Amino acid sequence: MLSRLLRPDAREAKGRPIVEFNSVTRAYGSRLALDDVDFSLEPGELAFLVGPSGAGKTTLLKLINRELRPTQGEVWIDGIAAHELKASRVAELRRRVGVVFQDYKLLPRLTARENVALALQVGDLRVSDHEARERALDALEAVGLGDRGDSMPHELSGGQQQRVAVARAVIRKPPLLIADEPTGNLDMDTAWGITDLLEDIAAFGITVLVATHNIEIVTRLQRRVLTLVNGRLVRDQPAGQTGRMAWLASS
Amino acid sequence: MAGIVLKARFPRRHVVEAVIRNVFRYLFQGAARNWARNFGSTAPALSSMALLLFLSGLIGLTGFALYNLEQIEAGQASMLHVYLRDDADATDVFTLRNRLALDPRVATVDYTSKAQALQHAQTVPGLPQLAGASGSNPFPASLDVQVKSIDEVAAIDAVARISPAVDPVYPTSYDRGAYQRIQSVLLAVAVVGIVFLALLGFVAVTVTINSIRAAIHSRRDEVAILQLVGAPRWMVRGPFIVEGAITGSLAGAAAGLVTFGLALAGIAEGSASFSQFAPGVTVTAAAAAGLIVFAVGLGLGSGSSLLSVRRHLES
Repeated sequence: MLSRLLRPDAREAKGRPIVEFNSVTRAYGSRLALDDVDFSLEPGELAFLVGPSGAGKTTLLKLINRELRPTQGEVWIDGIAAHELKASRVAELRRRVGVVFQDYKLLPRLTARENVALALQVGDLRVSDHEARERALDALEAVGLGDRGDSMPHELSGGQQQRVAVARAVIRKPPLLIADEPTGNLDMDTAWGITDLLEDIAAFGITVLVATHNIEIVTRLQRRVLTLVNGRLVRDQPAGQTGRMAWLASS
Repeated sequence: MAGIVLKARFPRRHVVEAVIRNVFRYLFQGAARNWARNFGSTAPALSSMALLLFLSGLIGLTGFALYNLEQIEAGQASMLHVYLRDDADATDVFTLRNRLALDPRVATVDYTSKAQALQHAQTVPGLPQLAGASGSNPFPASLDVQVKSIDEVAAIDAVARISPAVDPVYPTSYDRGAYQRIQSVLLAVAVVGIVFLALLGFVAVTVTINSIRAAIHSRRDEVAILQLVGAPRWMVRGPFIVEGAITGSLAGAAAGLVTFGLALAGIAEGSASFSQFAPGVTVTAAAAAGLIVFAVGLGLGSGSSLLSVRRHLES
């Protein structure tokens, strides 16, 4: 079902990275949250961002989504210079970045379908109610919740709410999906379900960056791992070479 | 038919419909729903604003009446009575009248004989006794000169009083201080009114800013989600401005209606005396005042919401 949602518009590689950080530093006062970070993510790549609490993972995601500006350096997202983007144009960038949070961030007064359709219609006012409804239901079906479209968020389990959040994040078929601790509030079985979903999304050409503390998922998937410690990118391990990451688990 | 690709055009009408429906939903419908939902927190702002707008309406109407009063007083003060000697030569009077009538600063010149002056004096309280106490007619004949501008009265007075036909003891009715006194009183009233209006405006703006600030705070999660899913800035800010406009227009409508009703009641109750102490305040003027109060409410509501959104809503 995910193929129906993503395949028609899946981005082709354009020969440029979807995410590019060039010597990025972000300071909060005198404290450096990110210190001279360089990396890039290619189209369709699934990467994990790991590190202890306070390492700068959320700051890095916020820089991608232009919730923050870097103090120094350049942040390029799908060819857009996020580091110098005016506030009035931030929405254009955010329509290219799907976001999933640990606490789902669904609007409690809207049904699951309306939450998903919202992301579609606020980004493109030309989308009619009928089209939004159909596409939202397709997206919910793709994440395994085709029969829960009319449920309110509080009627769904944590895992189901996170699936709705994933459907909302990908309904516009963005080139990039960022997820901040998407399994943080979920039990292990449900977490694996969400992880499988993120893998499938990456398989359809969407770049996925997941900030997580869940070492079990990171080690089992053997995807690229970026490790932040005290704001510095201390390791960039390519897919298949992540090992057991015992050092991180112990930290 | 193999190999033929059909390219259907997307019906433009449906796109326009969808855009209108979405704009209406996200801007107006959402704002109205949120306004109704937050009525409890908006009510104090609404009532304060209505009260302030009502007071502003009253001050505005009072100012308008005072302005008209000033115009009437100015008209009266620009009437110069040139008193003629009882034994004035007719040629001198004729020459003076001609000279004044030809002066471009003068609108009209009328002659009042001693008999007419006496007749007029008998209609003025206190003067008939004065007329009766004297064996002869004590009131002089005069030339009644309507000067075009109040500022030119002094110059015309100077021209008139040198004529040999003019009474040397009491040459004219010109009182240098009279109009200045009226003007300074009215200026003081205007300054007080403007300061009071500014104060009321400031309070209304502050109250609305704080009510929108509270609305932003109570919906900060919703705002954050809208921003994160890529809602354009107008879609995030717009509903708050519409909410402010709803508050302002309702307060304005209530205050405008009360102002209009009160003025109407005043006009109906004492039509003769009302027009004397509040000249110009007619049904039309009252309706215009009500409409202005409504428009000011709408402007204040949306304007202060815009200020609040710019100050309190991060992008």
